[in-house]
Amino acid sequence: MHQVFRRTVIAAVAALAAQAFAQTEITYWLWDSNQQPAYQTCANAFQKENPDIKVNIVQKGWDDYWTGLTTGFVSGTAPDVFTNHLAKYPEFASNGQIVDIAPLIKRDGVKTDIYYPGLYELWGRGGKQYGLPKDWDTIAIVYNKKLLKDAGISEATLRTWTWNPKDGGSFERVIAQLTKDKNGNNGLSKNFDPKNVVQYGFVINGSGGGYGQTEWSWLAVSNGFKFNDGPWDTKYYYDSPKLAETIQWLADLSLKKGYMVPISDVSRLGSEALFTSGKVAMLPHGSWMIKWFKDNAKFDVGFALLPIGPNGRKSMFNGLADSIWTGSKKQEQAWKWVKFLGSPACQNIVGSYGVVFPAIKSGVDAALQAHKKNGLDVSAFTTIANTKGATFLFPITDYASEISSIMSAAMDSIFLGKAKAADALKEANAKVNALFKR
Amino acid sequence: MRNRAAYPLTLGRIVAWTLLAVLIFITLFPLWIVIKTAVTHPKELFQQASLLFPSDPTLLNFRRVLGLVSLEENLAVGGVANINFLTAMRNSVLFTLTIVVSQTFFSAMAAYAFARLRFPGRDGIFFLFLAATMIPGAVLFIPNFILIKNLGWLNTFQGMVAPFVLMTPFAVFFLRQFFLAVPKELEEAAHLDGATPFYIFWRIVLPISKTPLVTLAILTTINTWNEFFWPWIVSKDNNMQVLTVALKVFQSQTPQGSPDWTGLMAATFLAIIPVFILLVVLGRQVVESLQFSGLK
Repeated sequence: MHQVFRRTVIAAVAALAAQAFAQTEITYWLWDSNQQPAYQTCANAFQKENPDIKVNIVQKGWDDYWTGLTTGFVSGTAPDVFTNHLAKYPEFASNGQIVDIAPLIKRDGVKTDIYYPGLYELWGRGGKQYGLPKDWDTIAIVYNKKLLKDAGISEATLRTWTWNPKDGGSFERVIAQLTKDKNGNNGLSKNFDPKNVVQYGFVINGSGGGYGQTEWSWLAVSNGFKFNDGPWDTKYYYDSPKLAETIQWLADLSLKKGYMVPISDVSRLGSEALFTSGKVAMLPHGSWMIKWFKDNAKFDVGFALLPIGPNGRKSMFNGLADSIWTGSKKQEQAWKWVKFLGSPACQNIVGSYGVVFPAIKSGVDAALQAHKKNGLDVSAFTTIANTKGATFLFPITDYASEISSIMSAAMDSIFLGKAKAADALKEANAKVNALFKR
Repeated sequence: MRNRAAYPLTLGRIVAWTLLAVLIFITLFPLWIVIKTAVTHPKELFQQASLLFPSDPTLLNFRRVLGLVSLEENLAVGGVANINFLTAMRNSVLFTLTIVVSQTFFSAMAAYAFARLRFPGRDGIFFLFLAATMIPGAVLFIPNFILIKNLGWLNTFQGMVAPFVLMTPFAVFFLRQFFLAVPKELEEAAHLDGATPFYIFWRIVLPISKTPLVTLAILTTINTWNEFFWPWIVSKDNNMQVLTVALKVFQSQTPQGSPDWTGLMAATFLAIIPVFILLVVLGRQVVESLQFSGLK
C-alpha cells in the first residue's frame, strides 16, 4: 500500500514537472482589482484548453499601471498582454508599441460582428486593429437610499429629473435638499450655512481632466457641448461656452453653494469612500463600480438615470480592449489569450461575476442576472446604452496624455476656485489645439 | 535608591519634563494612529476615524497582508490584491544585509588604501572621489538605469544592489579620516615584523576602528532599509520588490479610488518591526553613532 502510494506521488510529481517544463508563461496586466477574480477564472478555463500556456495575472493601481507600462515598453519589461484604454492606445499605436491584430483576425477568421455596435470600430484606425472589445460602460447617478428617504424625496423624482446650467433644474433642487448644515437646515432653507456642512448632496470623483467621463461629460454633452467632430479629429472644442457654463455651474455647487464636497477633500479621501461612509448622498459613477458599491456600502444603494439636460439625456459610452505588446517574445500565445478574452466563453464568465458589462450580448445577460441575484436594479446603465442617440463615444485623438495634463491643470484650477471656467478653458483649448499643429 | 535631594523639584525641571512629555507624544502619536488603523476593520475605517481607540479591534488586516485571506474575501471587505509581504520582507532583509556587509568592507579597503598606501595619482583619485559626493543622486539615476538595462539586470537582485554594493564616496571619506588617525607606529612595528599590508589592515587597523565601522554599518542599515527610488525603478516585478516598493505599489493598488488604508497600515506596522528590534538591541550604539558621526 505504502509502495503504491509512493509511486503515485512520484508519478504525479514527475507529470507536474514535465508539464511545468513545457509551459510558456505569459503575463497579463489589468488595473481593476474588482475584475481580477473574473479574469483569473477566465485564465483557468484558458489553461484547461491550452495546457502549454500559463497566464500570470498582475494587478496594478491606475497610476502605477500606466507609468509601469510606458517604462516597461522602453526597458523591455512590459507585459505580453494588457488591458488597454481608449485615451491611451492611440499613443501606443503610433509609437509601434502595440500589435496590429487585423492580419491575425483575418487569418483565424475571428467573428467581429458579435460585439455591441461601435465598440469594435473604436479600437481600429485606417484598417488596423489594436484590440478586441471586452466590455463597455455607461454612467449613472449612484445614490444612498436611506438619505433620500430621510430627506423625504421619493425615488420616482429621480426618473424624470431635469438639469440646465442656469438654475440647475430639479436636479440641483434634489442635491440641495440632500445637503444638511450642522443646525439641521437643508440646502433649500434660507438659513442654510454653506460653511458648516455635515452632509453633502453631491460629490464628483475629481476635476475630470480632459474627458470628465464620470464627472462632467454627461452634463456638458446634455447641454449641447461636443468634444470634437469624431474619432481621430485634429481639434477640440474645449472653448465652447456650453462647456464653460456647465463647468462653472458644477464648480459653484461646491465653491459658492456648499452642496458639493470641495475638490480638495475628494483628492484626499476619494469620492467613493466619502459616499460609502454616508457623508454624501449621491455621486455620478460608471457601471464598472456597481458591485463595489454593493459590497462596500452598509446602506442600500440605488442607481438613477442621469438628469435630462437641454439637449436630452447623455452618457459617455466607453469600452476597453486587450492589446498585445510588440516586444512580447510570445506573440502566438499572447494572441491566443487575447482571442480567448474576446470570445463568448470568457465574456460569459466575466458577466457572471456581475462586475462589468461584457462586450457581447450573452455576457451582458449573465451580468444582469448576477445583479438581479444581488437585488440590484441596474437598468439606469443599460437603458441609456440601448437608447438611440443617448450615448456619445469617448473622444479618441492623438496626444491624449498631453491633452490630459493640460486639461487637468485647467480643470483643477476651476474647481479649486482659482480661475473662471470661461478663461481657463479658452486658454487650455488654445494649448490643446496647438499640439495638432506641431 | 537615588538620593532625592540631588534632584530638587524646581520649576525649570517641571517645564523640562512637560516639554519632554509633549515631544514624546508628538513623536509617538502617528505610530499610535498606524497601529489603531491596522486593527480597524476595513469597513469601519471612516466611521471610526474620529475615535482614539479602536472599538472592535481585529487582526484581519494582518491576515490579509500576510496572504492568509483569499482574493475574493479580500475584495469583499474592500481590500485589494494580496501584497506579497513575506517575499518583500525577505527581499528587504537580503538587500540590506548584502549592501551593509559588502559596502562597509569594500569601503574600508578603499579608505585604507587612500589613507596609507602610496601609489601614483592617489590624491588625485581621492579628490575625484570627493567630487563625486557633490553630485546629487537624482542625476545618476538615468545613466545607472541605462547601464543596468543594457546589462540585462532589470528585475534582478544584482541590478538592485549594483549601485550600492561596492562603496559610496561618503563611506570611503568617513573611514579614511579614522584610518589616518590610527597611530603610524603600530603599523610600522607590524611591518618590521614582516606583516603584509593586508594583514595589518585586517588584524590591526580594523579591530581598533570598531566604533566608526559599527557607526557606518548602522547608518547604512537604516538608509538601505528605507531605500526606495532605485529598487522601485529597477525591479517592479512582484517577486523582486523590497518592502518600500511593495508598500508603494500596495498603496496605489486602489480598489477604485481610495487606498486600502487598513491593510497599508498593517503592512507598515510589520515593516517597522525589524528596525524597531534593531533599535532595541543596538539602541545605545545607534545613539552613540549618531552623536559620533555628527549626523542628525
